[in-house]
Amino acid sequence: MSLDTAFMGQVFKLTLQGVPVTLKIVLVALIISLPIGFLFALIRIYQVKVLSPLVRLYVSFVRGTPIIAQILIVYSAFPSFLAQFIGKTAFNIDPIIYAYIVFALNSVATLTEVFRSALQTVDKGQLEAGLLVGMTPAQTFLRVILPQALISALPNITNTTLYLIKNSSLAFIMSVKDITAVAKTQAAFSYNFLEAYLVVWVYYLVIAYVAEFLFSTLTHYFSRYLVAEPNKNWFQRLFSFRQPNTAVTNTQAKRAQFIAKEVNHVNN
Amino acid sequence: MKELSLILQFVQQILPAIWITLLISVISIGIGTIFGFLLAWGKMSRLKSVRWLTSIYVSVIRATPAIIMIFIVYYGLPFLFKGWFHLNIEGWQRMYFVIIALTLLFSAPVAEIMRSAYLAVPKGQQEAGLLVGMTKFQVFYRILLPQAFVIALPNFANSVINLLKEGALTFTIGVVDMVAKAQMIVSNNSGGFAFETYGALALIYWVISLAIDKFVSSAEKAYRRKRQTIDGSREAV
Repeated sequence: MSLDTAFMGQVFKLTLQGVPVTLKIVLVALIISLPIGFLFALIRIYQVKVLSPLVRLYVSFVRGTPIIAQILIVYSAFPSFLAQFIGKTAFNIDPIIYAYIVFALNSVATLTEVFRSALQTVDKGQLEAGLLVGMTPAQTFLRVILPQALISALPNITNTTLYLIKNSSLAFIMSVKDITAVAKTQAAFSYNFLEAYLVVWVYYLVIAYVAEFLFSTLTHYFSRYLVAEPNKNWFQRLFSFRQPNTAVTNTQAKRAQFIAKEVNHVNN
Repeated sequence: MKELSLILQFVQQILPAIWITLLISVISIGIGTIFGFLLAWGKMSRLKSVRWLTSIYVSVIRATPAIIMIFIVYYGLPFLFKGWFHLNIEGWQRMYFVIIALTLLFSAPVAEIMRSAYLAVPKGQQEAGLLVGMTKFQVFYRILLPQAFVIALPNFANSVINLLKEGALTFTIGVVDMVAKAQMIVSNNSGGFAFETYGALALIYWVISLAIDKFVSSAEKAYRRKRQTIDGSREAV
């Protein structure tokens, strides 16, 4: 019983080529889905006619089906769908484009919920206060509500990013040459599957932890003037993943109610 | 209309494989919940070393892609068994490996959910229980657990749906579940009707997820209805 360490070193070097591909998928999907998710959240909150139920259906579908089914649907349907417009060139598109599409479509749904719950956690009194001092509704939204909502959305955006990183390991099904795909082909030559996947595992752990650390620094920076957060050391910061929490929690709702009551009390 | 009947027809063809998905999910949920409970316990342990170990375990699992987990269990477990116990388990049913991988994956979020639910119950509840002379176990079992249970339910349902979705990767190590069945149907049609077939597959998963969601939220409502505050008013949700 021994692992082929020489092979592991070799795979480690070779899979390095896959890292930029994985990162590219994650970043592009995130950049596409953040604004769309925000827009969808606004559609849901303002109950835009026709669009709102559609967005709801879309979110429910994406969250209720495995990403592998979504990949298979997009990967099988999109080329022939595109071919109707641009002819045969549709079949020569770089598969990474499909990876962008699938993972962006997937994250849009999660981010819609994230932004929706974030916007709802901002207390109503904030809007009233903004209007009271003479800001227009648009100004109040941009300057008062949005900054607060974005901060409370950050932990959930971190979670979405982590899911995205993990899900991107399925890009090999669309024959994208990401970390998993490179290791898989290497392993297939010599049947050293275990060694190859252990290396891949290390890569994903490193990427996930770096992302988590960046986001936690970001959250720390943006919420510095909010509540005095207990100072966490590097260990706690690295190893305390936040709950995936897309629903407004009971305590948040209660706090909002409490503040609303207090405001009323003061007003009267 | 022709599309719709095609999708329905594919649903009928895929559906027999649903029991594999359900079996894997149910067993993983069962063992994973127990394991997650132990982990949550470990995370709140008085021993620093236990706390560290469980924290590291939970966070490593949460950063691991499901497919890598499945592959590592599938290739790594026989390797370990051979080295440690000189047992050859390569002949095991492949389903066992998936169940082990999913159990490991499921236990981490469940541990976090249980811990945060336990901490969300006000401390006064425990003190009140001890004050009226209950034992520690009684306080936990009769007072803390029922309250923590309701708090944990929505997040638990979320994790169950996640597990169901991760279970769709079973096909990667050669178990014929719904995804594998759909792929077979597509290749039998030499690549034709791929959209309809995979659409049917997604539809089945969607229905299961919606059913879990509905079931849990109605269970939560029923549970909350029974709980009343001391002045007789219903608890605000």
